[in-house]
Amino acid sequence: MAQEDFVSVTTDDWYQRRRQDAEGEFFRKMASQGPRTGEGGATRQGIYVLTADGELLSFKNAGQNAEVTRDELKRGLSKFQKLPANRRTSGAVEVGEPGRLDPNYSRSPPVGGIIVRVHTRILDRTGDEYCKGACKTTGGDASARDFLWLTQAEVRSLAPKKAEPSFTYDVPKAIASRIAQFHLIDNTRGEPPFWERQHTRRAKLTLTVSRITAEGIELQLDGDVLLSTDSDSTKAARGYEARLRGELRYLPKTQTIDRFDVAAVGEHWGEGTYTRGARPGRSILGVAFGPVVGDKPAERVPPQGAREIGRYFGKY
Amino acid sequence: MFHSRYVLPALLAGAVAVHADPPLTESEFTSALKAVRPATGEDKFDQIPWLTSLWDARQQAAKAGKPILLWEMDGHPLGCG
Repeated sequence: MAQEDFVSVTTDDWYQRRRQDAEGEFFRKMASQGPRTGEGGATRQGIYVLTADGELLSFKNAGQNAEVTRDELKRGLSKFQKLPANRRTSGAVEVGEPGRLDPNYSRSPPVGGIIVRVHTRILDRTGDEYCKGACKTTGGDASARDFLWLTQAEVRSLAPKKAEPSFTYDVPKAIASRIAQFHLIDNTRGEPPFWERQHTRRAKLTLTVSRITAEGIELQLDGDVLLSTDSDSTKAARGYEARLRGELRYLPKTQTIDRFDVAAVGEHWGEGTYTRGARPGRSILGVAFGPVVGDKPAERVPPQGAREIGRYFGKY
Repeated sequence: MFHSRYVLPALLAGAVAVHADPPLTESEFTSALKAVRPATGEDKFDQIPWLTSLWDARQQAAKAGKPILLWEMDGHPLGCG
């Protein structure tokens, strides 16, 4: 239904309810026709069916079971089909260009940089291998999504100074810090509380040249991190202690990375305001980086941490 | 006989060893990547050809004569949780 009967779009309400441009004004005017009036800056999140000219046809909050959501979509579709032809047929409504976008609430991937998929999931262990974990919280065992953004300069900084097998060097601090602070985090049950800079107790990531081919330089990443809300991790309410391993490929001709497969695995404990329902005590959390993406709109959404874009890129 | 110049390095080496867990093995690495990433067909939400701009959706919906389905959450549904 989402593919056939609708034009489907998904957005982050944090940006949409705040942006001061034509898209923000359109969204708020439409949403205010339903229960999400946004009073006091409140959330307007939910599942909306609307017309291109801004009439709200149906609304339901997310988190319902599939049948309830499907029924609401059908209700909105039915209302659409009963509209007069001059409101719903192809070309009947004209939509111009959006004009200036609010720069405070617009995000674009760095030009010339790379976008890396990130997934996070609770894990268990059987013998020498990891497997999906089990969670009592609905959806808590799913593979959570995010993206890692690296700038063009940062990608180039991953190149080895010596293209010789076994040459080892540190992952640049800006990249190691961003991975640790914003991506080694439990977001499997909701919006995560990112680590503060001082919570990074240890973030040692290295790259070693493993092979040089005609196409590029293959690199092995190894690492070890400790993130905790207390300097004594045994007393910390929340923390993550993980080992990392990965395989990257750097292409000298284009000065880019076309392979970025990294796994972080270790014990996580604690939860945040919007990530309640963590497994008790310490349990295994895995984070998988890769592949390098960016061709589709769905792959160009900003990282969750990019709301504070300066902080995400280490400017403060 | 007690020699501090032997004891102190040994103590320091011990302290480092507490943190220096062995690196992930090849098996741990490949199984972790496989277990964390969604299996083929697992992530049905991702299979929908989502637009990410409401304005683009307006333009396409007007052209196609369709309603818009807007899935809006705190935390982008495609990039958080």
